[in-house]
Amino acid sequence: MKPSHADHEVFIPSMQRRTFLRALTAGTFVMALGGGAYVLADSEEERRARATLRPDGRPRLPPGQYLLKRLRPMGGDPGDPSPGNWRLRVYGEVGSPFTLDLAGLLAMPQVEQECDVHCVTKWSVLGAHFKGVRVADLAARANVRTTAHHVVFEAAHGYTSNLLLREALAPSTLVTHELDGAPLARAHGAPVRALAPDLYFWKSAKWLTGIRFTADDEPGYWETRGYHNHADPWKEERYG
Amino acid sequence: MGDERASGAGPGRKRYRIQWRALLRAVHRDTGYAAVGLTFVYAISGIAVNHIPAWDPNFTNTTATRELGAPVPDDDEEAKSLVLSRLGIRDAPKEAYREGDRLEILFEHRTLHVTVATGHVVDEEQNPRFFIRAANWLHLNRGKKGWTYFADAYAAGLLALATSGLFMISGRKGLFGRGIFFVTAGAAVPLVYLALVRS
Repeated sequence: MKPSHADHEVFIPSMQRRTFLRALTAGTFVMALGGGAYVLADSEEERRARATLRPDGRPRLPPGQYLLKRLRPMGGDPGDPSPGNWRLRVYGEVGSPFTLDLAGLLAMPQVEQECDVHCVTKWSVLGAHFKGVRVADLAARANVRTTAHHVVFEAAHGYTSNLLLREALAPSTLVTHELDGAPLARAHGAPVRALAPDLYFWKSAKWLTGIRFTADDEPGYWETRGYHNHADPWKEERYG
Repeated sequence: MGDERASGAGPGRKRYRIQWRALLRAVHRDTGYAAVGLTFVYAISGIAVNHIPAWDPNFTNTTATRELGAPVPDDDEEAKSLVLSRLGIRDAPKEAYREGDRLEILFEHRTLHVTVATGHVVDEEQNPRFFIRAANWLHLNRGKKGWTYFADAYAAGLLALATSGLFMISGRKGLFGRGIFFVTAGAAVPLVYLALVRS
């Protein structure tokens, strides 16, 4: 006997829904377990990096981070990759503001350093090799005033990130144009990006166009969108 | 007769009773139709951006190394011609920039990083993902200006969908039937997550 239209409406859909809900619950449970297993998974290299201490006594791999082999491009609205068009404006609370082109940047004392990079999305890369100019050298050339306490990295399309002056002047904070022996790739902010390796990587603005020294703190693009104002990976300062 | 007309209850005056649930169903249905396009845009972009550590949701990036087998001439035009002919590239470059030992030849979505002395070339391409990049651009409101109004209207539409959805069905399958279970479960997910993460 053929089922009536009413049978279809009442009986079959209710069974399908029940089946669907059971599958959904089971699927969620399995995914949750899988996620947990993923988080708990820890390679030998990660264990070693957590056990190794930096010269400042902090573990080489900050808490909550996992390792990647290479830097991952993390988006952003790309700037002009042209080395010929690139300019860097150094200004604000300084006695001698100036603008540099790429030739000018390359003519300054170059620093090569190996450092670790930590992304707020929890990946880290150990031993990335960067080449560039110390922000401290740019600051010295600009004659930073004693009224300056903060630095704003300015980048393409209005992106900004803020740092404490002492962190911007740290020897490891660079304006960099080479990564792992090659010119910066477009995805990593070519031709020039900032590098502040001891802070989460969103502070290291790609497609850098300006360094502004300020008396007061000016939270940047992500800092005004819920991210932490300071971004210390060892304190897991991810969100504000 | 005269008294009936004065009280407004007479046969000449029709009384309308608003069918609230029917109205809510109509609002829910039509708002749902209107929201389909933007829901796909925001949902697909949301998934894409959530997994940004695993992939670049805006571009496909490729890098290859090539060897010219000879040093590059000092003259920029000659150097450019040599590099393009050796690599079989017919597109016209936008810029050639030489600084010290390196020559960079730029195209719209491609850069050739040439080491002048050795002829070693790093060939880097970055091509936009057409739909997802546009969806991300809208989702992250990179354009600002007018899009903010559309995004606000869409958000208001989602609130209308959620609110009308709560009350459009009565009885066993309505809010005070199975509905309360799903509403509680849905609200509990972010609350429990926050409690676990923040504790």
